[in-house]
Amino acid sequence: MKINGEIWIVAEQVKGNLKEVSYELLGKAKELAVKDGFPVTAVVMGSGIGALPADLIAHGADKVILIDAPRLLLYQNDIYALVLENLIRKYSPGIVLFSASYSCSELSATVGAKLRTGVAAHSIDLYYNEQGELVQVVPAFGGRVLGEIFCPLTRPIIASIKPGVFKKQAKDTARQGEIIEEPAAGLEHYQSPLKAVTVVQEHLSGVPLEDAEIVLAGGWGVGSAEVWQLLEKLAQSLHGAVGCTRPALDEGWAKGEHELIGVSGKTIRPKVYIGFGISGATHHVVGIKDSGVVINVNNDPNSPVFQISDYGVAADVKELLPKLLEKIEEAK
Amino acid sequence: MNIAVCVKPVPDPKFYDKITINPETKLLERNKIPMAINPSDKNAIEAAMRLKELLGAKVILISMAPPEAKEVLKEGLAMGIDEAYLLSDRAFAGADTYATAKTLAAGLNKIGLFDLILTGSESVDGGTSHVPSQLGEMMGMPHLNHVMAVETEGDILKIKTKIENGYMLYEGLPPMVLGVSKEINTPRYVSLMGVVKAQGKPFTVWGLNDLQLNADDVGLAGSLTQPGSLRTPPIDRKVEMLDGDIEEKAEKILKILYAAGVLN
Amino acid sequence: MLKFSEQQEQLRKVVRDFVEKEIATIASKIDQEDTCPVELLRMTAQLGYNGVFVPECYQGVGLGYTERAIILEEIARHSAGFALALMTHHLGVYAILTWGNEEQKQKYLPKLCSGSIAGLAVTEPGGGSDFAGMKSTGELVDGYWVLNGRKCFITNSHCADINIVVVRTGEDEKGRPRMSVFVIDENTPGCKPGRKEKKTGLKGSDMGDVILDNVKVPASNLIGKPGDGAKIGLGTISEVGRSGMAAIGLGILRACLEDSVKFAKERIIYGRPLAKLTNIQFIIAQNRTDYEAGRLLTYNAVGIKDAGLPCVPEISIAKYFTTEAAINTAKRTIDLMGGYGVICDYPVDRYLRDAVASIPSGGTSYVMQIIIAGSALS
Ligand SMILES: Cc1cc2nc3c(=O)[nH]c(=O)nc-3n(C[C@H](O)[C@H](O)[C@H](O)COP(=O)(O)OP(=O)(O)OC[C@H]3O[C@@H](n4cnc5c(N)ncnc54)[C@H](O)[C@@H]3O)c2cc1C
Ligand SMILES: Cc1cc2nc3c(=O)[nH]c(=O)nc-3n(C[C@H](O)[C@H](O)[C@H](O)COP(=O)(O)OP(=O)(O)OC[C@H]3O[C@@H](n4cnc5c(N)ncnc54)[C@H](O)[C@@H]3O)c2cc1C
Repeated sequence: MKINGEIWIVAEQVKGNLKEVSYELLGKAKELAVKDGFPVTAVVMGSGIGALPADLIAHGADKVILIDAPRLLLYQNDIYALVLENLIRKYSPGIVLFSASYSCSELSATVGAKLRTGVAAHSIDLYYNEQGELVQVVPAFGGRVLGEIFCPLTRPIIASIKPGVFKKQAKDTARQGEIIEEPAAGLEHYQSPLKAVTVVQEHLSGVPLEDAEIVLAGGWGVGSAEVWQLLEKLAQSLHGAVGCTRPALDEGWAKGEHELIGVSGKTIRPKVYIGFGISGATHHVVGIKDSGVVINVNNDPNSPVFQISDYGVAADVKELLPKLLEKIEEAK
Repeated sequence: MNIAVCVKPVPDPKFYDKITINPETKLLERNKIPMAINPSDKNAIEAAMRLKELLGAKVILISMAPPEAKEVLKEGLAMGIDEAYLLSDRAFAGADTYATAKTLAAGLNKIGLFDLILTGSESVDGGTSHVPSQLGEMMGMPHLNHVMAVETEGDILKIKTKIENGYMLYEGLPPMVLGVSKEINTPRYVSLMGVVKAQGKPFTVWGLNDLQLNADDVGLAGSLTQPGSLRTPPIDRKVEMLDGDIEEKAEKILKILYAAGVLN
Repeated sequence: MLKFSEQQEQLRKVVRDFVEKEIATIASKIDQEDTCPVELLRMTAQLGYNGVFVPECYQGVGLGYTERAIILEEIARHSAGFALALMTHHLGVYAILTWGNEEQKQKYLPKLCSGSIAGLAVTEPGGGSDFAGMKSTGELVDGYWVLNGRKCFITNSHCADINIVVVRTGEDEKGRPRMSVFVIDENTPGCKPGRKEKKTGLKGSDMGDVILDNVKVPASNLIGKPGDGAKIGLGTISEVGRSGMAAIGLGILRACLEDSVKFAKERIIYGRPLAKLTNIQFIIAQNRTDYEAGRLLTYNAVGIKDAGLPCVPEISIAKYFTTEAAINTAKRTIDLMGGYGVICDYPVDRYLRDAVASIPSGGTSYVMQIIIAGSALS
């Protein structure tokens, strides 16, 4: 079955700010639209978010459907899903793209079940094949395997997209687009069995991992909180960001899950990535494979991590880190 | 209280670096990899056991898997679950998340009424994290995924779910479907006594005919998504080892940083 | 064909899960610090390992010596030193279970299953294998036994809560020393650890002196009858001690096999994995063969013990074979790794040290050969 409707993206906003991934979704949708000729529509939901449509248009949306209602202030799965279900039934889009954040991937699955249509999870690529079918490439086994997913029979096709994988378009404030306001249909008689009480989100300092030109990632081989401090220092003096593997997070050395790189964490593409004491497990490596230069430091000269590196350094992290710090301070 | 835990047997994630694709058949070569309980499902079992210890409950586990999965599921019984139900039939093969949720829902409805249905937040193999939400929809129950904590206050459940860099708090009444993530607890180790007791616990196996479903509701036929070909992403690079003493190695790294334009 | 029951397979799996998470991660630390991780022994108690072969009525798990060997093999795969601490605890448990009276079993076994640690003190400076040379004494004074002496090379010397000691309590009519066994409760005055030894290997299980300085124990703490000492001491060591050592040797064999395979596949030399070289394949073949042979011997021997049949020769053969083979296998694995074999970032040097230290534990290879030959020639 051909695609016979618009491409929608469901923009993700938190407290009235659009998340980067919303622009990335638009970037991809534009690319697909070149092939299928349908306009790209962004759906944005929330309360007091009247300023967002213009931003979405500037990043490539041809149309924006704005649903601005007090009950949409906080994301809540059942409420958002109901509104989206009704909206999708009304407009019958061909494709709906979601961010694969915790809340939006949950939303995509729920909407898919309500509409009885297929949902591809955490896609890292989307394209039309020669038969004109939409191919959705999804990772499995922690990124070790990539599989193609098709949705042959039902519409819309729903996919969630991993943040950081697609490129956004340059912002163009001169772009024009249509803004449609829709009510939050379906909520009139709906009483949610759940009550969202609070949302707590940390404000993060420093260069965000996904924007840094140089990322220093530490693994279990860093060995202690003291040595981790050196890694932080080095990142600071290089204006880079610190990333980590799962064990370094579990040890409590890294600051939090926002520093985790890999299938369960972030996908990054810095100019330079330097790994310290990391064994190169696929789960981690899938998150860095599109980086520019990859350097790894490991005290095991036979470590498999060197197979995924441009430069390998067989050295003890404890000895190399202080040396690097010293050299970089000298160089300044 | 009646609790069900959905458990998926998966190829043991310790061996994922060994998974390859047969260049001729294009199928996964995973026959040598042993099966294990999906990691976050162990957290779901642990959460159920804690509720059982706190409030008293009957806890069952349910799984849709091939018959060989029986041994793996016994580990759930060894952790303290009272009874196991394995939904197993050739017709279930190739299910996507929608068909999986539908089959699990049919099994659960046949077993009885539940106050809580716990799942892991995501599997390590397919890893869509869709089953908890879709199962919730099909059971007609409220559902939340990526649950980091559950507390009870009288009848009310207080639930903390994970979002990027933070969390949300919800309140609600059972019944509910909750997908729990690894932050919620540390699963207990299985005791030897648990292993011994597990051998005698009820273990039911049901096929398609035991559930109120048709062959085209389940498995690949009942799936809304269809899989295409598989591949392993190329991640190898050609490495150049930097040699010399520690001093020289540090200098060489600096040179690379200059050349890449991240240091000037 | 060696075949484990479903329950045994499941048991191995859950033990392996535990060992990989809690022991493998600290195995080299245990080796370096060389003190018994007591908290780990309390954890294994909660999981049933400490009382695996004790019947349920004494709060054990009610399984047998095959299951015990599985546990010890799995632990020794990552830390033979820690396995030795657990295996020695089992000796104290076995002595009470087998020769204790009902009252003693009720009193001690539930504790020993749930976290109290036992040690068995036989050896003395005057000799290990030579029982008759034993100098420690027990004297009956006012209805109490007063124990004096010094035991050496005692595993769990510094961490045992409950000590089981063999002392001399007189002579028989022919003038031969008469040995008796006593259990010494926690915190009994006069019973204390003495010097702690630094072993070559099997580090992480405490080993040292147990000093008996006018230790007063009630008559009810005598295990068996006066004069049963040799029977109890030897019976415990020859069946449970040596089968435990066989299982530990087996764990070391498996460690060498797995590590040699991993290294041979990962190490690239002249652009190809080491594993492509024929001489390397020979090493792998020998490691594999030794492991398989050790496995068959060990589980066969404990299977005989579980069947309640005489098993001393088979257990001696298993102990002799696996511990000697462990030395050869560890040495070969070091050869395979070249320079990496002897740097301490790789655990093979530990495997070799552990293998060497496992020879005297429970009786040297010479003693094993004497027993084996004796049984063959009888
Ligand atoms: C479903 C699933 C999802 C996962 N998702 C992720 C994910 O998103 N991100 C992630 O990172 N992991 C993830 N993991 C975990 C992943 O499989 C690996 O366990 C993890 O990446 C390994 O981290 P590591 O390299 O830091 O540790 P290890 O594998 O333990 O490696 C440590 C390395 O440090 C070296 N080393 C030790 N000491 C020193 C020293 N002094 N100097 C120099 N080098 C030293 C060692 O040689 C070794 O190579 C996931 C696992 C599963 C099952
Ligand atoms: C390469 C690949 C890609 C895939 N991509 C998609 C896709 O994009 N969309 C899609 O619809 N399907 C996809 N699938 C199919 C999907 O993985 C299967 O449908 C699977 O049976 C259920 O989904 P999951 O493993 O992703 O579960 P998740 O939703 O990640 O699992 C969450 C929890 O649900 C419970 N659960 C899941 N499965 C079972 C079960 N069989 N028995 C009991 N409890 C269970 C467990 O508690 C589990 O922790 C893919 C499969 C592969 C191999």
